[in-house]
Amino acid sequence: MNALLRILSLPVHLLAKVPGLGPFVKVLSTTVGQKILMALTGLSLCGFLVAHLGGNLKLYAGEQSFNDYAHALHSLGPLLAAAEVGLFAMFALHIGLAISTAAMNRIARQKDYAVKETKQGVFILPNGGASNWMMLTGLLILVFLATHIMDMKLKANPGVDYSAAMNTEKIVANEYHAVKAVLSTPLNAAIYMVGLVALGIHLSHGVRSALQTLGINHKRWNLLLKLGGILFAWGIAIGFMSLVVWAMSYKG
Amino acid sequence: MSTDVLNLNLRVWRQAGPNATGGFKTYRLNGVSTHMSFLEMLDVLNEQLIAQSEEPVEFDHDCREGICGMCSLMINGQAHGPDNATTTCQLHMRRFKDGDTITIEPWRAAAFPVVRDLVVDRSAFDRIIQAGGFVSINTGNAPDGNAIPVPGVKQEVAMDGAACIGCGACVAACKNASAMLFVSAKVSQLAILPQGHPERNTRVINMVAQMDKEGFGSCTNTSECEAACPAEVSVAHIARLNREYLRASIFAEA
Ligand code: HEM
Ligand code: SF4
Ligand code: FES
Repeated sequence: MNALLRILSLPVHLLAKVPGLGPFVKVLSTTVGQKILMALTGLSLCGFLVAHLGGNLKLYAGEQSFNDYAHALHSLGPLLAAAEVGLFAMFALHIGLAISTAAMNRIARQKDYAVKETKQGVFILPNGGASNWMMLTGLLILVFLATHIMDMKLKANPGVDYSAAMNTEKIVANEYHAVKAVLSTPLNAAIYMVGLVALGIHLSHGVRSALQTLGINHKRWNLLLKLGGILFAWGIAIGFMSLVVWAMSYKG
Repeated sequence: MSTDVLNLNLRVWRQAGPNATGGFKTYRLNGVSTHMSFLEMLDVLNEQLIAQSEEPVEFDHDCREGICGMCSLMINGQAHGPDNATTTCQLHMRRFKDGDTITIEPWRAAAFPVVRDLVVDRSAFDRIIQAGGFVSINTGNAPDGNAIPVPGVKQEVAMDGAACIGCGACVAACKNASAMLFVSAKVSQLAILPQGHPERNTRVINMVAQMDKEGFGSCTNTSECEAACPAEVSVAHIARLNREYLRASIFAEA
């Protein structure tokens, strides 16, 4: 655990040596700072999800509309590449911090209790609700993400028949058919569904948690923030899931 | 047998010293009055152990009325036992049933090392307080009581934080052994009151730094601390600590 922490904190030591970044690194490397960074990266990823879902809902508008959108996105060229690098950095930071804080937290407990109970009420999810499932759901999202990049970006999943997307005259693959080919493969559909349920759970705690970490808590708004977070989480998750269901049931 | 007497099995953590390997020992204790407090029950256990020439169970306590925060016991997996807003010394044996087995453990945290049996060293909290949980007072004549106006609402919120008795139940109950509820109660109470303003920025930075140095975990906003806290300190204070931390890091003059 300690060795893992040392490896994960290497970039921090390097960054601290960059002139001008010292104070910045210092503020963000305390436990409170790390959680703030996790919250900011988590919420930025949520922003990405909104944009991504918004674009993908164009699938419902038909082949032409979706392919136009995909084409417009790809023609951004270097801008898109820059956004992808940024997105990758967000994920790397978020996941790196998730692992390093979790390792620190294990070390902080040192020895487990023989018996451990809670005074909190009942949760829908066993074992104390979504906040105790963040690492597991995060890792499920990661598995989904890896599959997703292989499927859609690299178009390299051996289990998917991409022929419908490739047999057009154009050099660019027909993204509309590619998406349908990927999502209607049963194994993929299953991985996507599991990943999206995990995402719903992860964000149903994550959004409210991130706001609390950023200092947003007022008894006038707390109920709204909590329900809003859950609504957002499942809105996003169900939005994506609907596309899987659509692709599975769509003929022609 | 009268219903207000219990016969219990006590599964108690025994550890001879800080570096000794500890383990559970089970004791049979008969005839415990339901009117006793939990600590009185342990006193009776110790009488019995002494009579049998065994080492008595070491446990912390002082006021026995819920204000000093010394009586740190994990009882059946609950910090301070099963009741809300109650310290171990305020817990009554009537909460238990005849024939119950009660597991009693010390707080578990790297920052709270076990001294002996159920006693842990909570001086990490003292060092956090020394790092910033104070206000500077000038000597001289006593100032007029009403010279500094503090709105009633602020008094109330500050008092909610000041209610913390420093018991460490928040750390004990938290899955990350995080001290955020304790630290936030102190930071928050002094940030709200004008008397605490001269040290406002350095306080939060220094207390967080000391908290990290002691080896407490980080906050995952699970709110287990709030549920376990005998003084009902709210996690709203943790949000205020986070605001204070951001404020002090970004906007402070020095
Ligand atoms: C890909 C792998 C991921 C892993 C391993 C991961 C892991 C975690 C962990 C361990 C936490 C801390 C939970 C806690 O504080 O109790 C967390 C928090 C969070 N995650 Fe993730 N996550 C991942 C992906 C994502 C994604 C894709 C999003 C959003 C689109 C996201 C959004 C959030 C948010 C908003 C928080 C709350 C931050 C806070 O508690 O202050 N995560 N994540
Ligand atoms: S915040 Fe509550 S649980 Fe934590 S030390 Fe203070 S009184 Fe005890
Ligand atoms: S002994 Fe003082 S609070 Fe319990």
